[in-house]
Formats: sequence, structure tokens, C-alpha cells
Amino acid sequence: MIKKILLACMCLAVFSLKAQDTYQVNGVKDERPGIHAFTNAVLHVDYQTVIPNATLIIEKSKITAAGDGVNIPKGAIVHDLMGKHIYPSFIELSSDLGLPDKESSRGAGPQLAPTTKGAYNANDAIKAYYDAASHFTVNTKDAEKLKKAGFGAVLTHSKDGLVRGTGAFVALGTEAENLEILKERASSHFSFDKGSSTQDNPSSLMGAIALIKQTYLDADWYKNQNKMVDLSLEAFNNNKNLTQFFDAGGDKLNILRADKLGDEFGVQYIIKGNGDEYQRLAEIKNTNATLIIPVNFPAAYDVEDPLDAINVSYESMKHWEMAPYNLKKLQDAGVEFIITSDGLKDLSKLSEMLEKAIEVGLKEELALKALTFTPAKTIGMESKVGSLKKGMLANFIITDGSPFKKDTKIFENWVQGNINSYKDISEKDLNGKYDLTIGKLDFKLQISGKPTKPDFHIIENDSVKTDVKSSVDKTLVTLSFEPKDTVNATGKIRLSGWITENGLNGKAEMADGSWVEWSAKRTGDLEKKEEKKEDEKSAGDKEEPGKLIYPFVAHGLPEKPTSETILIKNATVWTSEADGVLEATDVLLQNGKIAKIGKNLSASGARVIDGTGKHLTPGVIDEHSHIAISRGVNEGSEAVTAEVNIEDVVDSDDINIYRQLSGGVTSAQLLHGSANPIGGRSAIIKLKWGYGPEELKIKGADKFIKFALGENVKQSNWGDRNTVRFPQTRMGVEGVFEDAFTRALAYEKEWKTYNSLSKKEKANASAPRRNLEMETIVEILNGKRFISCHSYVQSEINMLMHVANRYNFKINTFTHILEGYKVADKMKEHGVGGSTFADWWAYKFEVNDAIPYNAALMHGQGVVTAINSDDAEMGRRLNQEAAKTIKYGDVEEQEALKMVTINPAKLLHLDNRTGSIKVGKDADVVLWTDHPLSIYAKAEKTIIEGAVFYDLDKETEILAGIQSERARLIREMQGDKKNGKATQKGKPKSQIIYHCETEIENYSSLK
Amino acid sequence: MNKLINHILTCFLLLVIFPSAFAQVPAPGDAQTKPIAIMNAIAHLGNGKVIENSAITFEDGKLTVVADATTIRLDLSRFRVINAEGMHVYPGLIASNTIIGLEEIAAVRATRDQDEVGEFNPNIRALVAYNTDSEIIPTTRFNGVLYSQTTPRGGRISGSSSVMGLDAWNWEDAALKVDEGIHLNWPSRMLYPRWWRGETEWRVNEEYDAEYDQLSGFFKEAVSYGEMGEPTVPNLKMKAMSGLFDGSKTLYIHTGRAKEIIESIQFAQEHGVKKIVLVGGDQALYVASFLKENNIPIILEDTHRLPEQSSDAVYLPYQLPFLLKEAGLKVVISQWDEVMKVRNLPFGVGTAAAYGLGKEEALKMVTLNPAQIMGVDDKIGSLEVGKLASIVVSEGDLLDMKTNKLKHVFVEGREVTLDAHQQRLYEKFKEKYEKQE
Repeated sequence: MIKKILLACMCLAVFSLKAQDTYQVNGVKDERPGIHAFTNAVLHVDYQTVIPNATLIIEKSKITAAGDGVNIPKGAIVHDLMGKHIYPSFIELSSDLGLPDKESSRGAGPQLAPTTKGAYNANDAIKAYYDAASHFTVNTKDAEKLKKAGFGAVLTHSKDGLVRGTGAFVALGTEAENLEILKERASSHFSFDKGSSTQDNPSSLMGAIALIKQTYLDADWYKNQNKMVDLSLEAFNNNKNLTQFFDAGGDKLNILRADKLGDEFGVQYIIKGNGDEYQRLAEIKNTNATLIIPVNFPAAYDVEDPLDAINVSYESMKHWEMAPYNLKKLQDAGVEFIITSDGLKDLSKLSEMLEKAIEVGLKEELALKALTFTPAKTIGMESKVGSLKKGMLANFIITDGSPFKKDTKIFENWVQGNINSYKDISEKDLNGKYDLTIGKLDFKLQISGKPTKPDFHIIENDSVKTDVKSSVDKTLVTLSFEPKDTVNATGKIRLSGWITENGLNGKAEMADGSWVEWSAKRTGDLEKKEEKKEDEKSAGDKEEPGKLIYPFVAHGLPEKPTSETILIKNATVWTSEADGVLEATDVLLQNGKIAKIGKNLSASGARVIDGTGKHLTPGVIDEHSHIAISRGVNEGSEAVTAEVNIEDVVDSDDINIYRQLSGGVTSAQLLHGSANPIGGRSAIIKLKWGYGPEELKIKGADKFIKFALGENVKQSNWGDRNTVRFPQTRMGVEGVFEDAFTRALAYEKEWKTYNSLSKKEKANASAPRRNLEMETIVEILNGKRFISCHSYVQSEINMLMHVANRYNFKINTFTHILEGYKVADKMKEHGVGGSTFADWWAYKFEVNDAIPYNAALMHGQGVVTAINSDDAEMGRRLNQEAAKTIKYGDVEEQEALKMVTINPAKLLHLDNRTGSIKVGKDADVVLWTDHPLSIYAKAEKTIIEGAVFYDLDKETEILAGIQSERARLIREMQGDKKNGKATQKGKPKSQIIYHCETEIENYSSLK
Repeated sequence: MNKLINHILTCFLLLVIFPSAFAQVPAPGDAQTKPIAIMNAIAHLGNGKVIENSAITFEDGKLTVVADATTIRLDLSRFRVINAEGMHVYPGLIASNTIIGLEEIAAVRATRDQDEVGEFNPNIRALVAYNTDSEIIPTTRFNGVLYSQTTPRGGRISGSSSVMGLDAWNWEDAALKVDEGIHLNWPSRMLYPRWWRGETEWRVNEEYDAEYDQLSGFFKEAVSYGEMGEPTVPNLKMKAMSGLFDGSKTLYIHTGRAKEIIESIQFAQEHGVKKIVLVGGDQALYVASFLKENNIPIILEDTHRLPEQSSDAVYLPYQLPFLLKEAGLKVVISQWDEVMKVRNLPFGVGTAAAYGLGKEEALKMVTLNPAQIMGVDDKIGSLEVGKLASIVVSEGDLLDMKTNKLKHVFVEGREVTLDAHQQRLYEKFKEKYEKQE
């Protein structure tokens, strides 16, 4: 064992080309000239320049000359590369090569404070202080895998935390770290994954985004303060001038989120994506970000068994087909990208994946650019790596063809002038026909197969084929076989020999023990097989990939719905206005607005929909929804999280958007959950299925925030461990509010004082710290943000109204408000609305007095009352839930319908534009097959701003489309299996349907 | 009039003396002493038939006449006559596979009695934990549900269910059929993602074969135990299983995915189980022909649920009862998501009616079909002479929330008080506000 280690050390010493000047030499100095000349090669100087028959000269770690007509210097070791190619070696930007593993152990119960010891940040996930260069050690094993795949250098950085510190650019050699680090501080890294941090905050994606934002602000403030030391913020500021990278993997929408975050602070990140960018290409292109794109295309699913095939989702099937097109789509859209091998379980598959991408249209030179020039340029290393020019590092690979072909061999990978040899470059291709003579016997010999693993066969009497056992080791050959024709010889003949200029020579021992000479003389090439042609043919016949759909989910459509001129004739129109219900009435929708309501209307060019026997109502509005939210609905880690914002995590691709449309829903407030007294900010959206997150959000809508009371914020039902976070009682809940508003007033005052200073005074003062949490609460105090408060029992409802009165503002909405009926008079007096469940109760102690008459009683007292869902399933039957107020409490029908139309519109301050059928309002309407409050009513058309987003008549057509597309994809996958390609077992995926209470331990792996 | 005043006085006294009376569920109805006739209502018989203008009479808790009022002649002189013209009459609905009476407040552990520890609990009986004074019961009855198959949860074999009437003094009185079935939670080849850990993909259940073998062993032992007559070492679990093999008990197999449906049913058949019912069966449509061939009825979960996959029709769960019926299966609609939601069972039926079934066929899936499956169709499940007078009279269509307004409810001839905790709170605060005006 010791011997082996010693040997390894010696090898290192022997091959070392560069001197480590500061190190003592034990023994005799052995620094060699290290001049190599690579001749007759096809030299790929960079991604766009190829010189056939060129020469490359290197001296030690650098290139000294490259091109044609280069003189070979004296003393150069010459490598004849006739027929071979030299490419600049690849650069990997997404790597944590040579960095220690992260450790994480979470104790039981809440962890509110950070555990990093020392003067570091208030949050463990902010690891700006991490310096990859100071932790980097040469990892021969991992480096070897990368080198075999063609890489020469990587940007290594910690993949742990939201702010991950700096990256070091290192070569993949095996010398001392001192020589392998090419650039110590090459980059700065971010992500949405809090990694090994066990601190509770953040517990959601929106929490992570808010924390990064606050860190930018804190770092800015930190520069000009002298109150405290924070080594994380210090480092954060020091890292600002580096290239900024953001790992936004897991979901294409994260790219948009990362870019938006960067925009807020004037940073353009280089963003690492997920390989599904084609699904939101237009939006992603608009970020103008350079992307780092993985090529881990999924294997086909095993769909042989139809009952197992049910497990594979439509989206997974379509993505399987589309994934190889991703790079082509980015290329065609003009997006600049870098290719990463990150995500590939087996690095040797890189060439295969790239071959697939090139087959479907990625330009080879762009692939090369994305692995060499672009990554080098992003970190300012393009004068050292990424091309092969004088003065640059001798980082290159020698191949027998394009490195983007599965069958291409990488013979050698030179890193800083050191050779790494993977295939013998002088290895001869033995394939061909030979005349084999063994003593006096003559045979025909055929050698076929891969040059690395040739197959030997004896052909006797022109047709009989005999297998020959063979092994080839460098130039030595061992063969044995038993001739079938036993006329001249019987038994096994064993041959040993060597490769010569035009064949093989050697000695053989016959079955009888006699020794003879043998030789094989090459007589010609093998006949080309016709199989290949067939292969090409089938490739040409390959069906075109399926259409892209928006969103990339079943029920997505190739074309996004757009506003039309629509005339609905002769319907029963429920206006939700003073006009009440209008029989046999026409409604004209034009330019996204309700243009006319009346009888016998006509409009040229309008699409006429016969509404006879049908009912037209305003679009349903859900005051309380948790659909279309990515990765966590609660940032419940702290009592006050006003800094988080659902707007940051709107998921435009949630199937539940379509499902709500099928129930006539057109707008919704996407609320933060109810895990803490002051939760996050809301997003108010229209359910424009197919459009991106930004287009869903209603422009200019008033801003809202979620508050919550009772058992959830007290963590009453969270188990015995969760008894630590303040508050644990309803008394404490008031304490949280009082504290928050008191602090907010002080915060506002502090800023007012600072802002009133003159320029000169400001220069001498330091600005207060901007606090996103406080800023939000100040907005509430100033009537610029409105509260929707999750609430159940009357005591707490009363309490919050008192708190609001003390701070001179009004609560906008009590949501759920199941005991609202007990204090409806007080609510009316305060001017707060109630958005409640129709009939939920009994799921926890605080809803024991919840009664289905609640809405009727609140409504009776003049409280603006709405019926909400809090649930993706019930959200699509809100009309039915409203109808329950007729059963329970005899609410008049039109008033019942208002509880899901104009009333929630009022509560969301949208009643000036939607919620009723009135000329001039947005054309957000639903055509029902029946009385809209009846269990038998189906939404036939759901129209938002004049565009039909749901059409019951088309659902059959859509389903037929899904079925035939699925069948086609299954055929394709079976083809893959037949061709011996790897397949994977399909596993069903289940979406989490968020409710108020939904808390997740690990948000980052969610979709 | 005097009587009324008396009544009011009594109520008042009760209020003063026993303020806690407000917190009680209403007392069960008095036993029927006088024959009752419900006249001229639209009668939905529960067996698929409708009588537009009906005459329905019952005596001593049993139906005596169910006929067309326009053709039958009745002497109603000794009857209490309820004029129900324009109203709708139904047999009381049956809620299959619920935990009514076993759970009061989901989040309060002390009020949950449905899930016993241990894997094999066939001898555990839901019946004895059934709380007749559960506040859930009056709210459920309020919408027309009069029977519950109260069923234990958890483990591999959860225990035995019983059919309970929702108006009784105690579980003994409530029980219509005791320990009628044993509930088996079939192991799953795939396990649901642990979403709280951030998982969204199902996992392969590596233990499936072991779980299958364990079950197989248990059933084999149970069969041989039954053949022993009177074994020297009695075993309560084995004994409880015996009814499955002589047909006196039904095996309810709870499973959802296609392959498990086939495997579990073949398993039960191989072990000689006589009566098998599938519970759940999300993917039953894929194996409907298998279920039909083997004559396996199915109890479906809540109609109001989201489709499993994005590629499913948005209304697939609404349509599923219809599609399975079309495939030739006996289908029961149920509602077991949360116990408080059982009161919405009629509306799940209404939805199924809208998506292909029509009202009468849909109604059958919560009346005659479950009664047949549970072996109580001689007593309940339809309005037919000789059956128990468990009747719901609604002002309008029972299956539509807009019109589901109960006027009279009879359980076995006893008129049931509909108002309870929730109505009392309603009245209390309505009165408060009315006084303020």
C-alpha cells in the first residue's frame, strides 16, 4: 500500500512541468523543457475557426504557436495527428469540484436563530463569506470524469445556500492546488435553495426571494454604518464586482424570478436553467440573461404495460420528446447560452446528449461555443482558455472527429500542458479482410467491430464463419480458434503475434503441440453494411415533434386565447348590478370590455353565441385562493413575514387555473397561508391560462396582505414540538400586531427624519436600514396596502378591529370569518367585509361554532359578504357554494350570486373593472348551461377580457387531442425501447393542493 | 293554543333551569303511534322510478302504501295527513364508508375514535364507539342523509363497519345492521409522495410483496381457523374473519389504482371470500370490464374532487359514476373526505346527475345500491311497501343545494327534529340583530 502511494507521488513529481517556485525539492530538480508539437491535425482554433493540417506548439503550460506553416522548434516532441482533431477543451461553470461536502443536521423543533458561529449573518443561508478558492483541493477522481468528457477547467463554487460566496476557476490537472487555481475569485453565486441551513427561515420560495432582497438592502446599509460587524455582508459587498451567477434550476419560471430579482438591484445574473426553457421561451428571452443549460434529457419511459403507462404524465411524455430541442429553440431565439454537464448522472453521456441536440437542429459551432468561448468570456478568462491561440493555456483535447458524436473518441486531454491519455493514439484500426496463413494452412480472416474492441472471424469455404477468441493489448495480439473444416487440422490453434505495417505476424501452437509461424496479410476493406442506410432512413422518417402548448401542461393550447368581439344573444343576464336579472338580453363584448347590453343588438364581424336558455353572469371571483403558487404557500418561520410576496412566485402553469376556469372563475386573490399573524403579500390575478406570470397579475390592482389569527398562528395543531415560536395564545397574537405597528411607526419616523435632512446633512448622516417587512406595514398604516385576515372566533375578530382603530386604519376583509355572524354589527360599523366558507366546520376546535348561516347573517347586517374557496377543488364550484346561502338563511338569489361576483370584487377593490355586467367593465363573463346557482349548471364559456379561456364544447376536442398525442408519444417511446435505448419507470406525480395550513419542510424540491 | 303556550313555557323553563340544554343534540323522535300519509308529492323511489303525484303512507314505522295518488283510493280518516303538493319525497340517503359518530373535531385527538393501533384488527368494531350525540349527525340529517355505514380507518385491516340510523338514543338503537363488513386497506405498489418533505413524485413500495405475503398468510390462517370448528386456542382476530368465508360479512377492499384493484380482488376470491366490494377505485374505469365480469360493486369517493391527472377531463370525477354505470357496474356514490362534508352527499349526487346519470339513476347510488351492497335493502334504500319509513320530504329538489330544504324527516316512522346546534346559533343571533333594529 505504502509502495503504491509512493509510486503515485513519484509519478506526480516526474510529470510536473511547472515549477512551484516556493517549494523545496527533495532530490534532484527535474524540470523538463516540455515542448510538444502536434502536427497534421485539424485544428479547431476556436468555435468558428478550423485550420486543416495545422500544427500546434506548446511549451510547458502554454501554447506558443498554432496554425499552418508553423515551424517545429528544436527539441519538440512531435505528435503526428494525421486524421485527428484538436479542440479547445470544454469549460464547466456549474461545478463544486474539490469542495468539501456540506453537512446538515436538523434538531427537533423550531430553529429560529442562526447556528453559524462567529460574526456572521442573521440567516445561515447567507453564505457570502464562502470562498471556494480557500476550500478547494484537487479531487483526482471527479476531475478524471470531467476530463474524460472533454473538460479542461471548471468554475468551482459551493452549491449550498441562497448566497453562496465566490467561485474559483480551476484547471483539472493533478498538480498542487497552487498551480491548478487559475482565478481565485472568479464569480459570485446565488440560488433559491437554502441548502444545509437548518434555520426555519426561509421555509418557502417566496421567503428565499425576500431574504435575498433584504440581504441586498442590508449590504448596502452595512457599508455606511458602524454599529456592528457582519462578515457575511462584508463579503457580500466585496463580491459585488464579480460576475454574478444564479442557480435557478428546478423550474423554467425560476429563471424569470431570478432575473426580476436582479433587475431590482441592477444586477444581470448569468442564470442556470433547468432544460425546459423552450416552454416559456418568449419570456425567458426577454430577460436578456446568458443561460447555463443542462443537457440531461430524460430517458424514454417504459410504456409497454398500458396500466403502468398511466403513471406517466402527459407533460413528462411531451418533455421527453422536446428536451433535445431545447438548445435549438434557444439558439433560434437568439438567446446566449452555456452548456453544462451538471445534472448528467453519467458524464460520459455528454457527447450522446449533444449529438441528439445537434441532430434536431443545434448548430455544432454553437455547441462548441457554449462549452468553450462563452463560459470563458463570462468569467473574463477568454484570453486564457476557450480557444487555442498563442499565449493561451495548453488546454485541449485530441479526438478522431466531432466531440459531439457518441462514437467519437477522445484520445488525449491536455491540461496546462500535461497529458491525460484515454485511448492509444497510435492504435491501429485493424478492420478489414486478411489472408491468414498458419504454417501450411490458409484461412480467410475478417476483423470487424470497434477499433477498441475488434471482432475476429475465420471464414472457411467462403461462408462458414468461426468465432476467434481474441485480445489486443497495444501491439500484441492473442488469438485462438478451432477450424470447422477438419480435413487439414483438428483441435484448437493458439496464436500469439504482433501488429505489423500491413497485417499481423506471430507464432502459433497447433493442437498437437507443434509450433509454426503465422501471418495475416491485409487484402482489403470490409464490405459496408447496409444497416446504416436503414438507420438514416428511419431517422429521416421520424415524425415531427408535437406542438408546443401554453402552458406546457395538458389542456394547454398551441395558441394563447385572445380578445374577440363576441355577441351573446338572448341569454338570461345576471348583472350583479341594480338592474338585476335581465331576461332575453344580448351582451356585446368588444375590445376586452362589455360594450353593450340590450335587446336585438348586432355587431358586424362579431362571433355570435346563442344564449337562448342559458345564463350569463359576471366572472366568478375567488377572494381566497392558493392555486398557481410555486413552492410553498406559507412563510411561517417567523411571526411577521410581511416582506414575502406571492407575486414573486405566481405559477402560470398550474393546471388548477384551467380547472377553476371550468367553474367560471375569472379572477382570484392568491393569498399567503395562515401560519403566522402577519403573513405575506398577495397576488391578484386573472386566470389567463396560457400566459406568463406577469400577464396574469392585474395591472394597477390595489395591494393586499394576509393576516391571520387563532389556532394556525398559535401553532395549536402543529404537534408538541412547535410550542416555541411567539405567539402561542390569542393574547400573544395581539402582542405581535401591537409590536409590528409600533415598530412600523418608528421606522416611518426614522426615514421621515432622514429624508428631511438637507443634502449636506445627509452626507454626514447614515441612512437608516431599509426593512422590507416594515415598509410593507407602513403601507398598511398609510392606506396603501389592505388586509385580508384569516379569522374564526369572535374575540379575535373584535381584537383586530380594535388594533386597527388604534392605529387609524381599517381592516379590509376578514376571510373565513366563521364567527362573523356573532359580531356582524361590529364589522359593519368598522366597515370591514367578510369572505367566508359556505358550510365548513368541525375540522378544528375554533370552528365548532361555525354555522352555514354565517354569510346570510353578515349579509343581513350589511357587511359586504363573499364566499371563498381556500381550495382548488371547491374553487371551481363557487357558484354552488354561493347557492348554499339560499338554503341556509334564505338569501335572495341575486344576492347569493353577488357573493361570488361583485362582492369579492369590492373586497379586492376591483369593482370598478370587473365583478358585474355593466357597460365599460372588463368583459369577464361566464355563460352557464343552466341557472347559475343550480347544481346542474355547467360553465359553458368562461371569458376574460373578451377572450374565451374555457369552452366546454371544446373540452372533448382537447381531450381527443391529448389522447392522440399521448398515443403518438407512446409509439415513439416504444421505438426507443426497441432500439435498446435506456428507459425509465414511470412514476405518478401528485401536485400538492395548498390550503391555508400547508407547511412544507423542504420547499426547494417542490414543483 | 293552550298546548302551544304550554310548550313555550316548558321550553322557557328548560332554558332557565337547564341552560346547558342548548348544547345538546335534539332528542330522537317519538315512536310512530298514528299512521301518516304524505300526499301529492313527487316521489323519487330510490329504485329509479318516480311517481309524479304520489300517495305514501306508513304505519308502525313501515311503509304501507306507495302509489300513484291519481289512481289509488285511500281512507285517510285515521291518518295524520301531510299535504306535500309540489314537494319531493325520497328514501333517506345512505352515506357509505364514513366516520360519522367516530370523529367530532378533526384536529382534537380526544374526539377521534376511528383509527386503532395495529395492522390486523378485524375484531375491532366501529359500532361501539358510535356517538349518537355527535353534533355532526344533525347537520348531516338536515340535508337528507339518514343512514351511515360507520367505518373504522387505518391499519391493513381496520375492523368492522355497521349500518347506523342517524336518529337514536344510543348505538344499540342506532344499529340497523351490525358488523356487516370488514375493511381491508390493500397495500399500494406505489406510495404517495411525502409532500411535506418536498416530494411530488410517487415512490415504488419496496415492501409490496412482503405486505402481500403477510396478508396472504393472515387470510390462509383465517380460512383454516374457520374450518376447525371450535379451536382449543381461541383467536378473536381469526374468529372475526370467519364471516367473510360463509358470506355473512362483506369484504370491503379499499384501493385505487388499476393493478391493485385486479390483484386485490383476485386475492380475495382465491381465499374464498364470498362478497367483495371495491371502495375508492380512482382508476376503476381502466379495469371496468374485469369488475363487471367478477360482479364487483364499487363505492366511489367524493364526486367533488379534482381529477388525478392534468390530462384527465376536468369533469372526470363528476362523470365517473355515469361512466362506471355504463360499463355495467353497480355504483355507490359516497363522501368521506372530511366527516363534516358528508352533509353535502346529496350535492355530489346532483353533480353526477348533471354529468350523464340523470336524477333518478344518481339517487339510486345513495339509496338502493348501497342498501343492496350492505344487505339492508329489505329494510331501507327505496320507498317500497314493507320497508322502513325512513323518508325525507323536501320543499324542492333534494340534490340541488338551492332547493334542498327539508320539511319533514322520518326515521323508521319517527319524525325527526331537524334543528340543532347550528340552527339554534342562527336563531340566537338573528334574534339579537332583529332586536337591535
